[in-house]
Amino acid sequence: MTHSALPDQVAGDFYTNNFAKNAQEGSLILNLGPQHPSTHGVLRVVVEMDGEYILRAEPVLGYLHRMHEKMAEVKTAAQFIPNMGRVDYGHALGWNWAFVGAVEKLAGIEVPERAEYVRVITCELNRLASHLLWWGAYLLDLGAFTPIMYAFDDREKILDILQAPTGSRLTYSYFRIGGVAKDLNEDCLSRIRAFIPWMRERLPMYKDLVSDNIILRKRIEGIGVIEPEVCRRFGATGPVIRGSGIAYDVRRSDPYSVYPKLDFEIPTSDLMDARGRYDVRIAEFEQSLRIIEQCLDMMPEGDVLVKGAPKPSWKAPKGEAYFAVEGARGKIGVYLVSDGGKNLYRTKLRAPGFCNLSLFAEVSRGTILADAVAILGSLDLIIPEIDR
Amino acid sequence: MDALLKGLPLDYLAACDFQKTGKTWQAILPAASLVRAAERLLAADYFVEDISALDCVEGYVVTYHFAHFHKPGRVALRVIAPHDAPSVPSIAGIFQGAEWHERETRDFHGVVFQGNPNFIPLLIDPDMADCFPLRKDPKSRARMRDILEAGEVVHCGPGFGLMTPDAPAEAQASSQSEAAAGDKATA
Amino acid sequence: MPAEFIRILIGLVAVAISVGLIGLVMVWVERKVAGHIQRRPGPYEVGPSGLLQPLADALKLVGKQLFMPDKADPILFWLAPVLSFLPVLLLFLPLPLGDGLYALDVNLGLLLILAFSGLAVLSLLLGGWASNNKYGLLGAARAVAQSVAYEIPLLLSVLAVSFVAGSLNLAEVVKGQGTWPWNWNIMTQPLAFLIYMVSALGETNRAPFDLPEAESELTAGFHTEYSGMGFGLFFLAEYANMVVVCAVATALFLGGWNGPVLPGPVWFVLKVSLLMLLMVFFRWTYPRVRFDQLLNINWKWLMPLAVLNLLATSFFVKLAQFTEVRW
Repeated sequence: MTHSALPDQVAGDFYTNNFAKNAQEGSLILNLGPQHPSTHGVLRVVVEMDGEYILRAEPVLGYLHRMHEKMAEVKTAAQFIPNMGRVDYGHALGWNWAFVGAVEKLAGIEVPERAEYVRVITCELNRLASHLLWWGAYLLDLGAFTPIMYAFDDREKILDILQAPTGSRLTYSYFRIGGVAKDLNEDCLSRIRAFIPWMRERLPMYKDLVSDNIILRKRIEGIGVIEPEVCRRFGATGPVIRGSGIAYDVRRSDPYSVYPKLDFEIPTSDLMDARGRYDVRIAEFEQSLRIIEQCLDMMPEGDVLVKGAPKPSWKAPKGEAYFAVEGARGKIGVYLVSDGGKNLYRTKLRAPGFCNLSLFAEVSRGTILADAVAILGSLDLIIPEIDR
Repeated sequence: MDALLKGLPLDYLAACDFQKTGKTWQAILPAASLVRAAERLLAADYFVEDISALDCVEGYVVTYHFAHFHKPGRVALRVIAPHDAPSVPSIAGIFQGAEWHERETRDFHGVVFQGNPNFIPLLIDPDMADCFPLRKDPKSRARMRDILEAGEVVHCGPGFGLMTPDAPAEAQASSQSEAAAGDKATA
Repeated sequence: MPAEFIRILIGLVAVAISVGLIGLVMVWVERKVAGHIQRRPGPYEVGPSGLLQPLADALKLVGKQLFMPDKADPILFWLAPVLSFLPVLLLFLPLPLGDGLYALDVNLGLLLILAFSGLAVLSLLLGGWASNNKYGLLGAARAVAQSVAYEIPLLLSVLAVSFVAGSLNLAEVVKGQGTWPWNWNIMTQPLAFLIYMVSALGETNRAPFDLPEAESELTAGFHTEYSGMGFGLFFLAEYANMVVVCAVATALFLGGWNGPVLPGPVWFVLKVSLLMLLMVFFRWTYPRVRFDQLLNINWKWLMPLAVLNLLATSFFVKLAQFTEVRW
């Protein structure tokens, strides 16, 4: 059966047709995605092309939209924590933290100090895993097939470590309102201690094998230049804005938990291009390792969950709270409003990838297709986070 | 913040406790002064964190969170859009990143942003984009003053009592019952 | 004449069989090498060390349903994979495996290979164009621009060697070289060898020059819409082309079947395998270049260098003729 036999069939869907209305004569409308090797899941970008050059691009979202904000309205606060692990599978603990942090702020719950350190350690380990995932996948986008295997080798070690206390490998729901679910035991801590020198040894190898490669450099240098002013107008955060030279990191600008006590730097790059964002993420490996190392030394003994921590039936008090943490992709924000009822009145999730991706249309204009892929990858997109 | 918004017609301006609720200032504006407020925030180097709506008895409270790259704290601008014709001017011309946030708010609450350059559904399928999942039914709506932090009031416009907990009961009650009646009529 | 005919017939059959075998072996080698580069074992379940894995893959490919996209041009669509594969068989005929061990003795063997390998572009263009797929179209456009561009330095570097050897017959070129590496043409023509190998990567669409199929940009480029053996033929042709360019490189630069102790054909196969391994290594270690960079490398570097090399070579060849000094 050929589809052309159906007379009333219109080619293209709503977004393609809407996009094509403003198309130039003789240009080619191409749908990158929702199934495409370098859109990392189910992002779709409609592009108008003149040969290999992109005249216009428009990301189309929603293929992974699960309406987490509605789910928050039918679950109690404590029941909603597992959802957070599924918002961003790359850096699930960042989202865990943003949500429980907001609830703690709303209810004025104090977290035991050991729990704060456990949170920092696990969250930074998860950040490392997320950056490794990005690194491997980005190079895959650029046509290098091998680095992802090395990255996953390291990432596997992190997942093995996190598996013990959290009970899962990807979609963690480990943090609790008032602490964390389970303490890091001696075995787990010694594995983390062993991991740090291992990872430190790997980083120079990655630099020699990959980061200094001439083809890679030619592919990402000068590509996708984002001025700091553009970053600000689009609300970009995380490595995207640090790659444009602004040292904005929630861990330092709106300090939370024990981060003020820790000694670490905010890597930035003035290159403003894909190379700058690449360098920033690579430099963050070392900073995360530093943070973990210090936490292991400074961690006090004690409980990891506050006495009388909220049960699933716990009702959040009336009021509102906004809490933001620095995720692997940027500023993760959770805005809560409670009317004192069983469920939260309103939960708003601020996804960093959402703002970072909104830049893409602006930055990709006039580039060639291969560069657009390089830019898309340099924004480090996790689609479930963007679509929520 | 006080100086920043000086001269704009404001309904309400209050300093808030950052440790408690995560914001330093909040302002409730009439829709007409939103764009000018956004322009001033742009000039003062703020950026849009997110835009969301909150379905209250008084209407959809569209909340704009702004933060700054070099200063801690957060500013919340709020505009109340009535339930029967929720419409707010778009600030996508000032903060380009606001375009997607506004489209998302339209998907969830049905608030129309006048002047958004590409006002089509963003997250929800275009075929079912008119379901507005986060709208509440009139019975379960809460009042703004009950759920939002009042803060330390710096300025309160004449006749604006939506955020005042201890306002004379009759005046408030009557305005709410009107609002509620309006809802039922539109529903 | 009948003897010649029988020779070609036997040659063709042998080539057809060996192309199939080479394809299977190369799939295994490629996957095994890739595996070890990526710190994993590669295929190891089917047969000893996974040796039968390519066979299983081939059976799977043969068994797959052949799809054709809506509104594709059926004749051109199915012609393309056949067209990409058939000329490859001809390319093997003049290749000298050993002294006298070739199917076709033509004194223009090199020309025959260059001429018929040019047909490969046509098949990529047809495949991409007839698919009625935008990725296919973009891939086809890239394939044509790339192949046309890289054919020129390839040709020029080959010409430089044949100037020195004074023949377009591959066997003659091989005979002009000696047993030991310092007697090979690579010593007198290192630049030509370099240009040849880079252009060969471009001609065979191998990474880092695999732009026409660039997975992360064009999903699969010109063969996006091909399933089953349609894809299989493109795949086989790619490996066969690799063998041909490596074999030509061996004959021209690496002394062909010349070598100490071992019999000639063994040396030839060894040298070809080494070059093939090199190409496989490239694929699994480097990122992909961008399309404009690819063309820049060609037009701004390879072309001028190849021309200079050719001019210098012809100058010295003439000089040698005048002075009667072998150099």
